[in-house]
Amino acid sequence: MHLRNSFRQGMMDVPSAHQKHKNITMKQQTKMLSALFAILGAAFLMTGCSKNKASIDTEYPTIDVTSSAAFPKQCSELVRGQKFTATILVADNAELGSVSIDIHHNFDHHSHSTEVEECNMGPVKTPAKPLLLVKSIPIASGNKSYTVSEEIEIPADVDPGDYHFMIRVTDKEGWQTLKGLSIKIN
Amino acid sequence: MLFTCLSMQANAQLRQLIVTVIDDYNKPVPGVNISLETHERAPFAAPDGVYVFKDLSPGDYTLRISMAGYRSFSKKISIAGHDISLPVTLHPNIHTLQEVVVQNNTIGQRKKEEQLNLEIVRSDFIQKNLGGSLMQSLERLPGVKTIGIGAGQSKPLIRGMGFNRVVVIDKGVKHEGQQWGADHGLEIDQFAAEEIEIVKGAASFIYGSDAIAGAVNIKPAAMPAANSFGGDINLIGKTNNALYGASLNIYRRTQKWFVAARATAQDYGDYRAPADRLYIYDYPIDLHRSYLRNTAGKEINTHFSGGYIGKKARSVFYLGNTYSKSGFFANAHGLEPRKVNAVMHDRSSRDILMPYQKVNHFKLINRSSIRLSDHDIELEAGYQNNFRQEYNRYVNHGFMPPVYPDSMTIPIDLERAFNKNVYSLNIRDRVKLNLHELQFGINGEIQNNAINGWSFLVPSFDQKTIGVFLYDRLSINDQALLHAALRYDRSHIHIHPYADWFPSPVEQNGETSQIQVTRADNIRRSFNSITGSIGINYNLEHIELKANAGKSYRIPTAKELGANGVNYHYFSYERGNTGLKPEESYQLDATASFTKNKWSVQLSPFFNYFPNYIYLNPTAEHDYLYGAGNQMFEYTQARVVRYGGELQVKYQAWENLSAEALIEYLYAEQLSGDKKGYTIPFSPPPSTLLNLTYSPIHTGPFRRIYLSVDYRITAAQRHIVPPEKKTSGYTVMNVQAGGRFAIQKQQAQISLQAQNLFNTRYLNHTSFYRLIGLPEQGRNIVLSIKIPFNFLTNKQAS
Repeated sequence: MHLRNSFRQGMMDVPSAHQKHKNITMKQQTKMLSALFAILGAAFLMTGCSKNKASIDTEYPTIDVTSSAAFPKQCSELVRGQKFTATILVADNAELGSVSIDIHHNFDHHSHSTEVEECNMGPVKTPAKPLLLVKSIPIASGNKSYTVSEEIEIPADVDPGDYHFMIRVTDKEGWQTLKGLSIKIN
Repeated sequence: MLFTCLSMQANAQLRQLIVTVIDDYNKPVPGVNISLETHERAPFAAPDGVYVFKDLSPGDYTLRISMAGYRSFSKKISIAGHDISLPVTLHPNIHTLQEVVVQNNTIGQRKKEEQLNLEIVRSDFIQKNLGGSLMQSLERLPGVKTIGIGAGQSKPLIRGMGFNRVVVIDKGVKHEGQQWGADHGLEIDQFAAEEIEIVKGAASFIYGSDAIAGAVNIKPAAMPAANSFGGDINLIGKTNNALYGASLNIYRRTQKWFVAARATAQDYGDYRAPADRLYIYDYPIDLHRSYLRNTAGKEINTHFSGGYIGKKARSVFYLGNTYSKSGFFANAHGLEPRKVNAVMHDRSSRDILMPYQKVNHFKLINRSSIRLSDHDIELEAGYQNNFRQEYNRYVNHGFMPPVYPDSMTIPIDLERAFNKNVYSLNIRDRVKLNLHELQFGINGEIQNNAINGWSFLVPSFDQKTIGVFLYDRLSINDQALLHAALRYDRSHIHIHPYADWFPSPVEQNGETSQIQVTRADNIRRSFNSITGSIGINYNLEHIELKANAGKSYRIPTAKELGANGVNYHYFSYERGNTGLKPEESYQLDATASFTKNKWSVQLSPFFNYFPNYIYLNPTAEHDYLYGAGNQMFEYTQARVVRYGGELQVKYQAWENLSAEALIEYLYAEQLSGDKKGYTIPFSPPPSTLLNLTYSPIHTGPFRRIYLSVDYRITAAQRHIVPPEKKTSGYTVMNVQAGGRFAIQKQQAQISLQAQNLFNTRYLNHTSFYRLIGLPEQGRNIVLSIKIPFNFLTNKQAS
């Protein structure tokens, strides 16, 4: 009996629930909605397609370590107490930034090089007085290609052995390319 | 109406049953699973939660109603001489156990009342899409990506912005780790997260500085029901990195007091990518059986909570600790790609060798609330300690001595360490005044950050912030809500000085002398900011609209102000800028959604303008003294415009089959400065996720069974900025299947996933390792099982 009463009450409630949103008709809602989605959709597409602007530079600069003029090359050997001229050929499609060279020991065989050719390596050893050279080389603005010609003296008292000769070059936009060469100091 | 009633009366034999389903807030619940046994035909379902079973012969029936997130309902019904109308109220069920105290509105209701773009997911969703970390599990949501490192760690990226631009709130308190770093994850236990709310868009006016791009609000497990004693156990296994893990949860509650505890442990090996050889900056790296060397890790988390739950007042303490140890990809950590002892590394895929990191995060939080007449006063007080250490073999960088001196007190293999203590306090008062709902609050935070290790990147610093806000929500009528918020913040940062422990050759006036160079000066900066927002919600029967305009801000981080060292992951020299201004953002944000019959469509466009976006700009310079010959990256500010949005379309073809498309798009451009015309880093490419879900209705002892296929199509990203690389497009397929079955009256949950089903080799543009060309995880089968248990029988409980 109790159950039936509650059903009756419920029956009264149903139509009022239906009526709740009748002040804005279904048709009006659908219209509003289509208009809204048309506007938003158009805005969405427009923003998505307006990308045809002056192209930005996404090209990396290049380092040529194989050309006959380039020095040192992969597996080059240098001599303590002597000078050598590092010749580095760099180029960019738009404008070069700067070059950095870095000579550090590889007595621990910590890495390969970027080059395919493997060089003969001495045994692993603890450094005593390894050569360390870090040098930034600015390039005058407006250059698309440049040849670094840097005279470097290798002190006579440094540890001989396996070294890395690292070259980093940037372009004006900040793209960087690096090369790591394995060299030997005798 | 009259006609229908008459015609019903005219039919003497056949009756109808009209069921109106509402929730606790008297809102209609459409889309429920409803059946009337032994009646064969499905009811006519109106969109407003009304279900009509027609042509019923007199007799006895059983009505069954179920819906994800609600407790099931069933009732015996006798049909005799007249039609029956039955109102049914469904009660939410957000815990695996059916006994739970509900504090929150239903998800739909909260979205309707929130001015910002909100996504809410519950632990069900995490279980179903379980990834390597909490954020990876949430990556399925449109507009949400992660900046990840390997398989186990990641940080949130909301609409292309992450790090200090997204706030993570855990148990009411801002989570403070090392947000600036990309090489470790969020120190959050994903098994302890019951519900996660993601705010897409500028939200500084609620969460303060840093919420400039959004917020991730992680809610703790719901309070257990009165007089309950139970728990659950979660078991996880993954094939790709041979992960196994478990999470055990136990709780006990009397009428007013409760305690709960959770422990989680996970252990995983190196992850595998579909590749045998990689090129890192042109250096070739051979992989052993596709394993990414030394990306293994482990994680141990413990949590305790307990407190008092009264009618007018409650106070809960939370104590938690997360610990993880994980390896860095061994071939790419340092100043150049490294040749490693492959024999040593490849001996086991489970060992964690150098370089590796240990991260420990400790939290003690109290959340209390009290109701005083019309006021709801809430308080959160927290202490956090984040301790992160990076271990690596000593390698001299730049002018460091070739052999580590014996006189050093810093351990020889401690490369970097960050120790952070944070004290937080939030107080809020909510009050209803006629049609207004006012909220007034204050947030304060004090940080101490110390550093250690033989290499330097970010200085140690102290930071204090305080903010006050006022928020008003005005109900104009049943359909419209207006929002207005205003906030004032003041912060102070003090950067401590730092000088190198080793001398470098410094040239001055043609003479070279050996000097320990200063990397950070004693710097004090103060920042003030006023932010605010206005918004509107307009809700009709089938349409929900919201729009919001606001200003957000972010104070520069210690790294942005004071970095001065080599970032070993990016092979770059990073230099801060002590003159940076606070970053500001103006944002317009809208959401329109439409739900009718079988369709639901939601479009959320946004537009965003930064007058001074802080950006790490790779310059054309190299630095030999501070940067060991590396390219100099300098923090600068530029005008930036961003726009885009998400589109979600769902079509419920039949009761048991649905199709869904989630589309996202983002465009960003720098309007000034060195990189004018370029985008900003980590801009995700456009992507679409297509989903098909089959969930059979009548499945015997198994319930809520699903088989679901996600097909993600990601476009190429050609909008890049140095030092990024263009990323090709890709498609990845994930399959999920699972369901529930009863174990001693408890609903056990089983979920199986095949991630990257076709073992596709692809690069993720927002991955931290993408820059060095590391592909994403290959095929991964993930199995997880969650079994709730109860120590009390129903009799004991009552």
